[in-house]
Amino acid sequence: MLPNRWVSHFAYAGAWLALALVAGIWLGNLAWWLVGALALYLIVTLRNLYYLDRALEKGAPVPSDTRGLWAELFSIVVRLRSKSRHRKKRYRRLLRAVRQSTRALHDGGIILNAQNEIQWCNRAAVRLLGLNLATDVGHRIDNLIRNPDFVSHLENPGGNTVSIPSPAVEGGQLSVQIIPYGRNQRLAIIRDVTREVRLERTRRDFVANASHELRSPLTVIGGYLDAMAHDLDLNGDWRTPIAEMERQVSRMTRILRDLIELTRLESSHGEAPHDFIDVVGMLKFIEREFVSSPLTPRISVHFGSDLALLGSEAEVHSIFHNLVSNAVRFTPPDGSVDVCWERNENGAAFSVRDTGIGIPEELIPRVTERFFRVDPGRSRELGGTGLGLAIVKHALQRHGASLSIRSEAGEGSLFTCQFPDTRLVARGGPARAVG
Amino acid sequence: MEVEAISQHTSRSFNKDLAGIHNLVLNMGGLVEDQFERAVKAIAEADSELGLGVAESDRQVNEMEMRIDEECRRILATRAPAAGDLRLIVAAMKTITDLERIGDETEKIGKLASRLATVKRPSTNFRELRNLAQHVKGMIRDALDAFARLDVQQGLAVMKADKVVDEEYEAIARQSLTFMLEDPRTITREMDVSWAARALERIGDHTKNICEHAIYMAHGTDIRHTSLKSVESEVRQAGSMKESSP
Repeated sequence: MLPNRWVSHFAYAGAWLALALVAGIWLGNLAWWLVGALALYLIVTLRNLYYLDRALEKGAPVPSDTRGLWAELFSIVVRLRSKSRHRKKRYRRLLRAVRQSTRALHDGGIILNAQNEIQWCNRAAVRLLGLNLATDVGHRIDNLIRNPDFVSHLENPGGNTVSIPSPAVEGGQLSVQIIPYGRNQRLAIIRDVTREVRLERTRRDFVANASHELRSPLTVIGGYLDAMAHDLDLNGDWRTPIAEMERQVSRMTRILRDLIELTRLESSHGEAPHDFIDVVGMLKFIEREFVSSPLTPRISVHFGSDLALLGSEAEVHSIFHNLVSNAVRFTPPDGSVDVCWERNENGAAFSVRDTGIGIPEELIPRVTERFFRVDPGRSRELGGTGLGLAIVKHALQRHGASLSIRSEAGEGSLFTCQFPDTRLVARGGPARAVG
Repeated sequence: MEVEAISQHTSRSFNKDLAGIHNLVLNMGGLVEDQFERAVKAIAEADSELGLGVAESDRQVNEMEMRIDEECRRILATRAPAAGDLRLIVAAMKTITDLERIGDETEKIGKLASRLATVKRPSTNFRELRNLAQHVKGMIRDALDAFARLDVQQGLAVMKADKVVDEEYEAIARQSLTFMLEDPRTITREMDVSWAARALERIGDHTKNICEHAIYMAHGTDIRHTSLKSVESEVRQAGSMKESSP
C-alpha cells in the first residue's frame, strides 16, 4: 500500500498531464504541450532533489515554497534532524555526567581492550598509577605498570584482587581488580589501600610487641613460682594456690607463644619455603608424644602413603600437632582419634577424625577465628589457647593447602588438610601401616 | 600497536612479533624492578631471608633474557627487518643485556643486605645507602617508562639524574672510609656498604644505557659516547626534522 502522500502526488502529476493533454487537443501541437509539461515536472523535481541532497549532506535549511509530497519529505528531514540533535544533546549531557562522576571517584578506573591497551582512564587512575592521559592512551598497560604480580594477574584474572606498590606514590599500596565485560573489554579498578595496609601492619606489630613484652615478666613470675613450689619450708596452705598459679602461668605462656607464632605467620610474606619434611617420621613422633600422656583416647595413625612434603618444618609440625592435640583434648578417654596421611587425586591429605564432642554446624565457619571457642569454659579448662586453628589456617595458606571441617555435635569431627601436588615428593622406601 | 617506531606492516604477524618484543623487554624490566625493590627493602628492614630470596628471582631474569634473545634472533633471521623495526630489535637486544646486568648487581645487593642484617647497624640505619637506592629506583622506573612511551625527554632527564648517583656514590665511599679509619671494627660492615653503593652506581650506569637505547629506538640517533649537551641539541634537531617532514 502506498503512503497517502504518494497517492496525492500521482493524482497531482496525472492532473498536470491531463491539463497538458486538454490544452494540446484544444490548441493543437499536442506533442509540444506534453513535452513542455514533462519538462516542467522534471525541473521542479530536480530542483527539490538538489535541495534534499544539500539538506541531508550539509544540514542546509529546507526550501519553504514546496507543496505536497516534497513538503512532506522536507518536513521528515527537519523532524529527523531535530530528533538527532536532541539525542546528541542528551548523550552529551549523559557523558558529561558520567565523566564528572568518574572524576569524583577515589578509585581509579581504566578501560582496556583485548590487547591490554589503555582506552580511557579516570583522574584517580592517573594519580595512583602515574599515567598520562595525553600520551598513554593506546599503550599497553603492562608496559607501563610492570609489576610481575600485576602482569600475571592481567594474563589470567580470577575474581581476586592483586596488591601492588604504587609506581607513582612512594610507599603507596594499591589493590587492583580486573573485570571483563562486553566483547573483550576489560575494566581495571584500582583502589588505594595504603591506609589499610599500614593499619594492618600497626595492629600486627602491636600484638607482636605486646606478646614479646609480656613474655619476660611472665618468665620471672614462673621462675619464682617454681622455686616456691619446691620450697619445703612453705606453709601447707599455700600449696594449692601456688600450683594453680603455676598452671595459669603456663597457660599464659602458651597463649603468648601462639600469639607470637600467629603474628609471625601473618607477617611472613609469600609462600612457605620448600624444605624436605618427612611426614611419616613427624607423625610418629607426634603420636608418641600423645600416647605417653595419661587420660588420652586411643590414637591410631594410618599411613596410606609415605610421600614427603615440601614446606616449612616448623609450620607443618605446628599444623599436625595442633590438629591432633585438639582432637585429643575434645575426645573422652574412651573415644578414639584416627590420624591419616594418604594420597588422593588432588595431591595428598592429612586428616584427623575423632569421636569427640563435635562442633555445631552453624559454628564450623567460625572455628578458625582467633580466640573463638565453641565452648569457652571447657576449652580453657582443657588447656586450649583459642589460637590453634587460626595458626593451622594461616600455615596451610602459606603451603597452598586448604582446610576442610566436617563435624556433627556429639558425634565427632573430621579435619582434613589438602596439600597440592606441587608440595609433594617421594620419600623413598615401601609404604608402611602403623597402627 | 600505536608506538610510532613500530611501523605498520601488511603482515599482521610481523606487527605482533615486534609489539611482542617491546612488551617482553618491559616485562623483563618489571621483574628487575621488583627484584630491585626487594633488595632495597632487605637493606632497610634488615631482612636477611628477603635478601637471599632476591638471588632466587635472578634466575627468572636470566631465563627471560635468553628467551627474548632467541625471539630477536628469530625475527632477524625470518623477517629481515629494516629501519625502525631493525632499530627496535637492536635496542631490545642491548636493553636486555643491561637489564640482566642490573639483575646481577641487584643480586649482589641482596647478598650484601643479608650480610648487613646480621651486624650492628649504625644509628642512621644506612640512610645514605637507602636514599641512593631510592633515587636509583626512580631512575629505573623512569628509564623503562621512557622505553615504553619512546619518550625522549624523559630519557634525557634520567641520563641527567645519573650525575647525582655518581656524586652520592663518592660521598658514601668517603664516609665509609672515615668510619673505617675511626673504628677498625666497622671495616667489614663498611666494606659491604661501599660494595652496595658501588653496585647501585653501576645500576645507574646501566639505566643510563637503557635510556640511550630508547632514544636510539625512537630517533635513530646513536648518542653513546657523546656529551649530554650535544645529545640534547641533536635530539631537538632530529625532532624538528621529523615534524617538518610529512
